[in-house]
Amino acid sequence: MNMLLLPILIPIAAAIVVLLVPQKAKKLKDALVLAGTLANLVVTIMLFKKDLAFSVPWVGFGFEFSLRIYCFSAFIISAAAFFGFLLALYANAFASQKNYSKSFSAYLLITLALLNGAVLANNLLLMLFFWESLLITQFGMIMLGGMQAFKTATKAFIIIGVSDLCMMVGMALYGNISGSFAFSNAASLTGLGGLAFVLLMIGAIAKAGSMPFHSWIPDAAVDAPLPVMAMLPGALEKLLGIYFLTRISLDMFRANPSSWVSYMLMIVGAITIVFAVMMALVQKDYKRLLSYHAISQIGYMILGIGTFVPVGIIGGLFHMINNSMYKCALFLTGGSVEKQAGTTNLEKLGGIGRNMPITFACFLITALSISGVPPFNGFFSKELVYDGALERGWIFYAAALIGSFFTAASFLKLGHAAYLGKRPQDKDNVKEAPYQMLIPMILISLACIVFGLWNILPIKFLIQPVLGVERLEGHNYYGFPSNMLLVAATAVVLIAAFLNHIYGVRKAGKGLGAVDHIYHAPILSGIYKTQAKGRLDPYNITLNMTKIFAAAASRIDKAVDWTYNVLIVSIAKAIIDTIRKAHNGNYKNYIAWSLAAAAAIVILMIRGLHA
Amino acid sequence: MHNLLIIVPICGIFILNIFLKPFRTILAFCFAAVIFISQIIISLFYASPFSLDALSSVVLLCIGIVSLASLLVTQHTVPDETKKFRFINLLITASIGMSGIVMVKDIFSMYVFLEVTAISSFILIAFDKNVEALEGSFKYMMLSAIATVLMLSAVALFLLGSVDMSFDAIQKSLFQSNNALTTLAVTLFMCGLFIKGGLVPFHGWVPDAYMTAPASASVLLAGIVTKVSGIYTLIRVTTAIFGFSDIVKNILLAIGAVSILVGAFAALGQTDFKRMLAYSSISQVGYIIIGLGTGSALGIAGAVFHLFNHAIFKSLLFVNSAAVEKGTGTNDMQRMGGISSKMPVTGFTSVVGILSVCGIPPLSGFWSKIIIIVALWQAGRYPYAVIAILASVLTLAYLLSMQRRVFFGKLKDGLDGLKEAGWGFMIASSLLAVITIGVGIFSPYILSNLILPIKEIFIK
Repeated sequence: MNMLLLPILIPIAAAIVVLLVPQKAKKLKDALVLAGTLANLVVTIMLFKKDLAFSVPWVGFGFEFSLRIYCFSAFIISAAAFFGFLLALYANAFASQKNYSKSFSAYLLITLALLNGAVLANNLLLMLFFWESLLITQFGMIMLGGMQAFKTATKAFIIIGVSDLCMMVGMALYGNISGSFAFSNAASLTGLGGLAFVLLMIGAIAKAGSMPFHSWIPDAAVDAPLPVMAMLPGALEKLLGIYFLTRISLDMFRANPSSWVSYMLMIVGAITIVFAVMMALVQKDYKRLLSYHAISQIGYMILGIGTFVPVGIIGGLFHMINNSMYKCALFLTGGSVEKQAGTTNLEKLGGIGRNMPITFACFLITALSISGVPPFNGFFSKELVYDGALERGWIFYAAALIGSFFTAASFLKLGHAAYLGKRPQDKDNVKEAPYQMLIPMILISLACIVFGLWNILPIKFLIQPVLGVERLEGHNYYGFPSNMLLVAATAVVLIAAFLNHIYGVRKAGKGLGAVDHIYHAPILSGIYKTQAKGRLDPYNITLNMTKIFAAAASRIDKAVDWTYNVLIVSIAKAIIDTIRKAHNGNYKNYIAWSLAAAAAIVILMIRGLHA
Repeated sequence: MHNLLIIVPICGIFILNIFLKPFRTILAFCFAAVIFISQIIISLFYASPFSLDALSSVVLLCIGIVSLASLLVTQHTVPDETKKFRFINLLITASIGMSGIVMVKDIFSMYVFLEVTAISSFILIAFDKNVEALEGSFKYMMLSAIATVLMLSAVALFLLGSVDMSFDAIQKSLFQSNNALTTLAVTLFMCGLFIKGGLVPFHGWVPDAYMTAPASASVLLAGIVTKVSGIYTLIRVTTAIFGFSDIVKNILLAIGAVSILVGAFAALGQTDFKRMLAYSSISQVGYIIIGLGTGSALGIAGAVFHLFNHAIFKSLLFVNSAAVEKGTGTNDMQRMGGISSKMPVTGFTSVVGILSVCGIPPLSGFWSKIIIIVALWQAGRYPYAVIAILASVLTLAYLLSMQRRVFFGKLKDGLDGLKEAGWGFMIASSLLAVITIGVGIFSPYILSNLILPIKEIFIK
C-alpha cells in the first residue's frame, strides 16, 4: 500500500466507522472523529516535504489513477487537515445536543478525504472525480440545517454544478489542445486556449465562492449549521478553489501578465472585493455579515493571482491561507456567540465581551487580521496583493483599498454591536464557551499572530517554493513591506475607517448604527434596497431568464410531441398496415417474393462481375 | 473425434427405439439431456480435441443450450408418453442435423445435414397434426424445397470447376475461374441460405411456421434451427469460400437492413404473442446479417456474438410465451394482462429477455449490438449504423407494449387460477435469463475468450 493513498483512505475508513457507531454512543463517536482527523493530520505532516508519485491504471482507455504530492499539494492538504481536526473538536462541543452531530462528523471526514484526493490527483480527470464528489457532501452538509435549508442546498448545488459543468468543458478543451489531461503541459492562452482557461477558471473561482457564483453563501449562513459555514466557505473551499486556480495559472497555461485573462481575473477580483464588502457592511446578522466577507476576501486572492506577477501571486496565496485561518476562526466565534447567547442577530446582542472574554479576544485578533492591521497576518498578505495590483494598474489598487476601508468599518461595527455597548437584560447570564470550542479559536488566533510576526515561515517555506526559483528571480517577499508609501496609504485608510466609525456611532447613538449613514447615502440606498429584494442575485436573474426560455421550449416541445404522437405514429401505422396486408398467408406470394428477390440478386451479381 | 457428436446420438436413437421398451420416455429424456449437456461442456472446454474452431464451438454451445431448454419445455407441453418419446427422438435428430452443419468441412455434407435438420423440423412443426400446424409446416416445406433446388444447383455448378466439395477446394477453384457461372453458383447458394434463414424478402414461411408449431418446437425452431441452417451457414460459406466482394457486402447489408425494418414494423402490428416474436426474430437476424455485411473481422465477431445472444434471449422469450400459452390456453395478447402477479418467474425473466433484445446495457444484447454498430461505423456504413440504432427504438416499442399487455397491469378476468407452468419452464427460463445477464456482465471475459478468437479464423 502506497503512503499517498492514506490521506484518502484514512478519513473514508473513519467515516464508515463513525456511521456504524450507534446514535447513543456520543462519546465514542466524538473520540472516533477526533482520531480520524488527527490521523489524517499526522499522515499529511509525515508526507510533508516529500515529492512522491503513485499511479495505477484506472477505468481503462489509458486513464490512470495517478496521485502526486509536492510542496504545494502538501501545503494545502496539511492546512486542510489542520482545519479538519480543529473543526472536529469544535463541532463535537457545538453540536453535542443536535441530532445532526453524527452526520456532520461523517461528512467532515468524507469531505477531507475527497479534498485530499482532489488536491493529490495528478491528472484532471481524477481531480474531476473527487471535485464533483464534493458537490454531494456540500449538498448534504447544507441539508443538515433541516428542511428549510433545502432551497439553499439546491441553489448551491445548481450554482456549483453549472460552474463545474463549465469546468468539465474546459477540461475537454484543454485535453484537446494540449494532448493530455496531465497538469504539466503548459498550453498557450491564445484562441481556444483562452476559452479553456476561462472555463476552468469558472470552476475554480465558483468553488472558492467568488462573484458571480457567491449568492448561496449568505443564504447558507442562515440555513446551514455554523460548523458547516466555518468549514466550507470559511476554509476548505477557499483552499481548494484557489489551489486549482493557481495550478491552472502556473502549471497548465503559459500565463503572462499581458494576456487578457489577467485583466479578466483582476476585474472579477476587484468587483468581488468591493460589492461583497458593501453588502457585508449593512448586514445585521453576525453570520450573514461574515459570509459576505468570505466572498469579499476571495476577491483579494483572485486579484493577487490574476496579476500574474510573482508578488501578486505570493500575496494571493498568502492571503488564501491567512483568510482560511481568520475567517474560520471568525465563524467559530460566531458559533460560540450563537451557542452561548442563543442568537446571532446583532440587534439582540451587545456587551457580551465581558461575559465571553476569550471569545472576544479571539474575535479581536482575527478581526484585526482581516482588516489588515499590522502586525497581524492579514496586513502582510494584503500589502503584497496591493503591491501586485499597483504594478498592474492603479484602479485595481484603488478597489482593493476601498475594500479595506469597508472591511475595517464593518468589523468595527460588528465588534461594537456584539461585544461592546449596552448589554440587553436577557444576556446577563451568558457564559464563556466550553473549552473544546475555545481551543480551536485560540490556536487559530495564535497562528494569525505567528504568521504575521514571523511571516518568513509561511512565505519562505510554504509559498515561495510553489512558484519555483525561476519565477522568483532571486527576490524574497517576506519581512516588512518594502514600499513604505503603500503602508502609509493603508494606515490612512484604517484611520479613516476608525474615524468613520466614531462619526457613525455619534450620529446613530449605538454601535449597530455605525454605518447607517452609508446605507442611507444617495444612490447607494437604492442599490441596497434592490439587493434586499433579491433582484441583484445572479442566481435569481438567471432563473427569471430561464422562464422565458421555458415558455419558448414548451412551444417547441408541443411541436415535437405532435411529431412523435401524431406524425410518426400515423406513418408507422401506414407502414404496418401495408406489411400486414402483404402477409396474407398465401404461400404462392411468398414463393414469388423469394424467387423475384433471388433473380434480382443473381442479376446484380452478374452485372457486378462485368463492371 | 468430432464424429462422436453425430454417431453417439444416432446410436442412442437406435438403441432407444429397438431394444428398450419399458421406461423409454424417461430414458429418452435423460439421454437427450446428457447429449445436450455434454455438447455444452465439449464446446466450452474441449473444443480442440474435437477439432472445433472458435466459430463452430460457439454455435455448438448455442445448439446445446437451446435444445436443452426445448427439452425442458417438452416435459410439460407434450403430456402423452408415446408422443413425448417421439418428440424427443425428433429433437435429438434435429440437434444431430445442426451439429453436423456446424462441424462439416465440405459443402455437400453441409447440404445433407441441412436436409436432416429441415425434415425433422417439418415433422416437429406439424407434430400436433392440426390444420394450422400442417399449413405452417407446408409453407416451410415449400420454401425449403426452393432453397434445396437453389443450393443443389449451386453444388452442381461448383462441381464443374472444383476437384472435390471441400470448402478449400471450392475456394481455390473460385479464385481460378472468376466467371459468370461461378458467380451464379455463389448467388444461388446464398439465396438458398437466405430462405433458410428467413430474411426479408425470403421470410414468408417464418411467421406461420413459428406461430403454428407446438410450444417446445417453436423454441427450438426460432432459437436455433433457422440460425444454424440459415445464418451460421451463411457466415461460414461467405468467410470460408465466397469471400467479401463489394457487391456481396452491399447485398448482405441491404437484406439485413430491410429485414431489421420490415421485421420490426411487422412485429409492431401483431396481436399474437408468438407471431410477434417471430417477426422480432426476423428483425434480429437482420442485425446479424448487417454485422456480417461489414466484411470486417470485428463485424463478423459481432455478428456471431449477436447470433449467440439472440439464440439465448429469443429462446427465453419463446419459453415464456409457451409458459403463458400453457397457463392461459391462448396466444392472443388481447386476452392477457397482469400475468406477472401470478407467474413472477416468467414475468421477470421476460423483462430480462426484452431488455436484452432491445440492447439495454449491461445485458448481453447491448454488447453484441454495440459491436455491430461500431463495426458498421468503422467500415464507413453510416446509414446502416443509423438504421441499426433507430431500429432499437422500434424493438423497444413492440417488446415493451408486449410486456405491458401480457405481464403488467391489471389481471384480466378469468386468469385468477393461473400458476407458474411447471418446473421445466422455470428452470429453462431462469437458466436462459442467467446466461443473458451473465454474458452481459462478464462480456469482456466472454468476448476475449469465446468471441474474439473467431476473428483469427478469418485473418489469414
